[in-house]
Amino acid sequence: MVLGDVSETYTDLVTTVFSSTIAAKAWLASAALVLALVQVTTAARIYGRLSFLPERGPAISRLHRWSGRLAFLLTLPVFFHCVTILGFRTPDTRVAVHSLVGTFFYGVFVAKVLIVRDRSLSGWALPTAGLTLASILGVLWLTSSLWYFTTVRFGL
Amino acid sequence: MLVGAAVVVCTFALAQARIFEPSVPAASAAAGGDVYRGESVFQRECAGCHGGGGVGGGVGPRLSGAGIDATAVTAAIRQGRGVMPAGLVSGHDEADVIAYVISISTP
Repeated sequence: MVLGDVSETYTDLVTTVFSSTIAAKAWLASAALVLALVQVTTAARIYGRLSFLPERGPAISRLHRWSGRLAFLLTLPVFFHCVTILGFRTPDTRVAVHSLVGTFFYGVFVAKVLIVRDRSLSGWALPTAGLTLASILGVLWLTSSLWYFTTVRFGL
Repeated sequence: MLVGAAVVVCTFALAQARIFEPSVPAASAAAGGDVYRGESVFQRECAGCHGGGGVGGGVGPRLSGAGIDATAVTAAIRQGRGVMPAGLVSGHDEADVIAYVISISTP
């Protein structure tokens, strides 16, 4: 299979559900952002904040872990299209910011996952990494999905 | 931290390589349009009749895989055709749409 055909196959697959590859990315990123907000909220509860939420415990931890896993999975098709098909581009400010910030996303993700497992680090490391990751996702959403919904169309 | 930095470098290298970027026919490159932006404009201005991705939408003909060249696309946009009004897009948008239509119409 020629490499270009992979892109075509991906487009065919995506357009069985969405109107275009851009629409697919906009919605997948939006879903990932919602799950990232769940991540931040549940993490805050685990750290003893937001006491109006249900009691800390296994359910909150489980929700935190699974929302993270699902958010990660949702970003993969977006990563595939953005990185391997479109690549790093700087035609205007929006795309330049999106490309630059997007480059750091999986690096910060890996750092965050490693920090979770490293008990030797100080207490602020994990919340900082988590908030940085959520912020990066927020910027990526603002410079892509929001732009798409407001300037192109709001629909599948 | 080092692993995270390595992932950032790898992501950047992968983004520069664009390994799955489809080869855009010379005609669309010559038109100076941006295929990606063209897809956005197409979805906004053309997909209502030609369908998302140009697969045909009942009103306008299917463009995907139709083998249309840049001259024909340009003429259709500028002069209109059937119920399609002339000058639906112009300027940069026109160049971007032409580039996009060429990219999807290549069989």
